[in-house]
Amino acid sequence: MDLKLAEDQSMMKKVAADFLKAEAPPYVITDWFQKKVAFLPELYKKTAEVGWLGMMLPEEYGGAGTTCTDCAVVFEELGRGPLPGPYFSSGVLAAEIILAGGSQAQKKTLLPEICRGRAIVIPAISDDPIQWGPRSVQTRLSKIAAGFKLTGTKRFVYDGEAATSFICAARAESGGIVLALVDRNAPGVSVKPISGFMIGAAEVRFDNVAVIADNFVGDWVIVERALTKALPILCAFKVGACQEIFEMTNEYTRTRVVFGQPIGRFQRVQDHCVDISIHLDGARWITYETLWKIDSGIEAAANVHQAKAVASEAYYQSCNFSHMVFAGPGTDYKHPLMAHSVLAHSLYQYLGTPLYHKRAMVDALYPRKAEKAG
Amino acid sequence: MDFSLQPDTPEISAFRKEVRDWLAENMRGAEHLRWSGIWSTRENDEEYKFRRQLATKLGKRGWLFPTYPVKYGGAGLSLDHQFVLETEIDRYGLPLGSVFYTLARLVAPAVLKFGTEEQKIEFLPPMMRGELAVWQVLTEPQGGSDLANCQTKAIRDGDHYVVNGQKIMVGHHLPPDFLWTIVCTNPAGKRHENLGWLYIPANLPGITIQHLHLMMGIKNAVFFDNVRVPAKYLVGGENNGWKVANSYLELEHGGGGSVTENPLFKRLVEHCQKTEFDGESLMEDQDVRDEIADLLIDLDVQRLMGLRNFWHRYVRDPHPYGGAQFIYFQRMVRLRNSERVQRILGYDALVPDGSVHEVADFEYTVRSGPGWLHGGGTLDTDRLIIARRLGLGRPSQESAPTTVE
Repeated sequence: MDLKLAEDQSMMKKVAADFLKAEAPPYVITDWFQKKVAFLPELYKKTAEVGWLGMMLPEEYGGAGTTCTDCAVVFEELGRGPLPGPYFSSGVLAAEIILAGGSQAQKKTLLPEICRGRAIVIPAISDDPIQWGPRSVQTRLSKIAAGFKLTGTKRFVYDGEAATSFICAARAESGGIVLALVDRNAPGVSVKPISGFMIGAAEVRFDNVAVIADNFVGDWVIVERALTKALPILCAFKVGACQEIFEMTNEYTRTRVVFGQPIGRFQRVQDHCVDISIHLDGARWITYETLWKIDSGIEAAANVHQAKAVASEAYYQSCNFSHMVFAGPGTDYKHPLMAHSVLAHSLYQYLGTPLYHKRAMVDALYPRKAEKAG
Repeated sequence: MDFSLQPDTPEISAFRKEVRDWLAENMRGAEHLRWSGIWSTRENDEEYKFRRQLATKLGKRGWLFPTYPVKYGGAGLSLDHQFVLETEIDRYGLPLGSVFYTLARLVAPAVLKFGTEEQKIEFLPPMMRGELAVWQVLTEPQGGSDLANCQTKAIRDGDHYVVNGQKIMVGHHLPPDFLWTIVCTNPAGKRHENLGWLYIPANLPGITIQHLHLMMGIKNAVFFDNVRVPAKYLVGGENNGWKVANSYLELEHGGGGSVTENPLFKRLVEHCQKTEFDGESLMEDQDVRDEIADLLIDLDVQRLMGLRNFWHRYVRDPHPYGGAQFIYFQRMVRLRNSERVQRILGYDALVPDGSVHEVADFEYTVRSGPGWLHGGGTLDTDRLIIARRLGLGRPSQESAPTTVE
């Protein structure tokens, strides 16, 4: 048993922390969130140079062949920002989907481009604003003379604005799910940014978009396989975010004085910090145990769902408890808490809500009768 | 990171086999018994006798305190060996730390850290060999959470301390051999500087013990009426009791960590798989599955907090707030599980169900939900400790006291 980071992981963590301090300090990130800037191409290129995009990919495809835990350590630091942008959606999730389901040609051409930050591939899976899982895939793939065409609307595609191409999940005439690579500029693709209490999401329409079989990258099994490795990385991002909220909230209880004393002397206020600590540490250890299992080749399907449920809930609840402490000032978009609060709501929905993943966790451990039969 | 409990070396594997065989041999004849938790809620003499005998047998080999020096009654083994012992005996639903109802697992470390060499040589071996039932005797009628406000007085008189006062909600249903007691050694002294710890032989004249029937089983009131305790039983020095208390309580309050799993989850799933309603097993019901999901998440977080604390103790780097956080979380989880079990089982949740282990007995789970909100300190005290360790509203953070092995 050893629950501390390895030496090289601590180095990676420090490099990431220093990078963020120099390139994206809190006041800068807060400004981006206020202006709804979800993607900064220059910064994205720089992270590619440091080697964070596709870092888990094998070296032959431009990655560094790191473990999931290595990658998670970096993403935990990005979460402290919280750094907006398609670092996870393209650099981890899309990369893993293509690695798991892509042809040799697709892997050779696309993966190095993802690592260099020149291709930003965004998974567009669910059509629905709330549902996740195979049932949420409604976009149709129909056969035409020259190949296939895609028709449907993905209502919320996280990081959709930044995409150079999409991995569109569609339902074939057989009823099965097919993943298709689609260029953002292909005729019939339209991307409409969504404004609201969120950041970076876009509605993506596929209107009779022509695709050929060479663009297919697999089916739902591939999505699940990629998610098993990718979701814990996203969880680590949320853990970092909770850590930042925890520290900033605790610090505020020392400096904010009312009724003649720091608010941290009031037990009601202390309780909120205690609650954040429990959400933070629960998310942290569930996430890192899951990462360890994956890196050690131990079955972790249920753990991955558990981590996603716990970390999403933790991020969301940590923001809420922090709002109780910061009160009015914490609701100003110029306050660092607001960046987290906006993002926590988006990530609560992204790739399945806590309820979806809790149920998936139990289903993975104890399949229902119908599922057993089917 | 490595979450595996121990290395799989030939030495450890061989030890595991040795322990497993030994337990198979020595647990024979206990198949029909049900275990109470850390204090009795069953008052079953057969169970008690079996557990005391088992403790003596384990103690003879030093296995109750595997990492402690041999000369004090330990086995001088490594922490990996302790893992083996804890996890193997856990397979029978018993905790190594309290094979029977003694709190020696808390008292021995304090004596080891604060006792003189003479005291260690005299007090520790019988305690570690599992020959004694030691009660922790702290709470008073006037002061629960406020331990420093101790009213039981121990006034020096020649070679003795004369003890007068009353303690409450301590022990279990059978008499103790020793009482581990906080007392006020200087009534005129300043708060926190007027306390001492006495390790009192329970058979001294002037000690009266009365049963109290409480929500979670039998506890006692202990009265001290001019009890003359030889001065050699004062541990940690006169008026130095608060220091002892801090280190000692960190262990009680979760700082020691834990490596075992709560059996409730498996028992509950088993129950739901076997129980049918309207022709379908409860495990097929979405509401039941949702309850089970929440329960599993809570127990996994609790398990990992315990593991984290254990690791911090293992590398001798006490976690600043981990002990109190674990205990606080565990209390809240017990309460939530109490509700969950009722929602799943209905009336059945209120009837003892004949299971093997108290923690996985549904009726006990329900009853102990509210009961455990305060055992060993209230949940509000836990939160207070976390807040101090985090330094909320304070310029500096209190550090966690080092627990002792």
